Amino acid sequence: MRKALLISLTLAATVVTALVAAPLFKTPVPPATFGEAASMMTRTAVSVSLLFVWLITAVVVTLMSGREVRYSSIEVRTSPLHCFALGLVAVTSFVLTAILFSYLIPFVVGIPLLVALAVFAVLTKVYGTIAVFHAIGTIVAGARSRDVMLQRRWLRGDLAMVIIGVLVLGAIRLIPVIGLVVWGIASVFGVGTALATKFGRREPWFLMLRAAT
Amino acid sequence: MNDDACQRFAENPEGNAAHLRECAKCAAIYGGVQTHPVNVDALPLAPWEGAAYRSWPLVIGVGLAVLAIALALCAAAGISPFLAIAIETQTQVSRAAFVYQKLRPLGPFAFAALFIAVNSLLVLLLRRAPRGIDA
Repeated sequence: MRKALLISLTLAATVVTALVAAPLFKTPVPPATFGEAASMMTRTAVSVSLLFVWLITAVVVTLMSGREVRYSSIEVRTSPLHCFALGLVAVTSFVLTAILFSYLIPFVVGIPLLVALAVFAVLTKVYGTIAVFHAIGTIVAGARSRDVMLQRRWLRGDLAMVIIGVLVLGAIRLIPVIGLVVWGIASVFGVGTALATKFGRREPWFLMLRAAT
Repeated sequence: MNDDACQRFAENPEGNAAHLRECAKCAAIYGGVQTHPVNVDALPLAPWEGAAYRSWPLVIGVGLAVLAIALALCAAAGISPFLAIAIETQTQVSRAAFVYQKLRPLGPFAFAALFIAVNSLLVLLLRRAPRGIDA
């Protein structure tokens, strides 16, 4: 009964998230005028500039808390469905909570609450996406054995895996429509793994009360 | 038999194998324990092995390459890199505003039901302990 409820609620959250967060689909057409070509060039420039920002952020976060990023990356690889479901539900919860807080704006308290929620959401997304970079880098280029790892000069360690993940996802981002969808899915996975592991600290979110023995 | 010898045996049984024949107490404790040597190289690669290695040439090389491509594309498009990042930020904000506008017209009862259902599900999902390294 509880499992069926969980699955149905997850499906409902998926539908809500898909309805509200899906990119507006347009059939990609090749540029016919100079204006369209310039617009496409601007979009590519924006994507690559943003990729550089992601690269710097990923390197800094991995240097500061590499172990936490690795734990979250392991979690997304061992429990992908749980992370995806949690990410979908969390994104929907962020949106609904933001709407609830927006009703409180006339009472002043709404603004700091909204700012706090926005900061938390952005931090969760950034940290989680970096964990997803690490997971993708490990899947694509991770060493399968100790001998292979020791033979490698550059392609080993958390930093290298994160860089490979940024490059792979960054390359996918440049594909029209598909890139946006893939980054959206990666963000959902990221939010899920960040929350599932409590930002890599692997601590419970709630205290468990046990009866004294 | 003294405790130091027992301690040394407990820390390194293979190196102090003779102690087992000399000490009745340790023979009683460890005598029935089946031991076999472990080939560490045969074990699967743990995620933390080699994880602390920092390959700076890769980081610097990739960073400079991406920066050069970004600058070249920005120059071709006639915008500055800061403007490019501002455009992306503005796009994200307008997307969030679009989602907000789409959900806000929900009626109070529908909104309350959705809010309670989604946050209950979130709490249920957050109660599950991470598997990760234990899997």
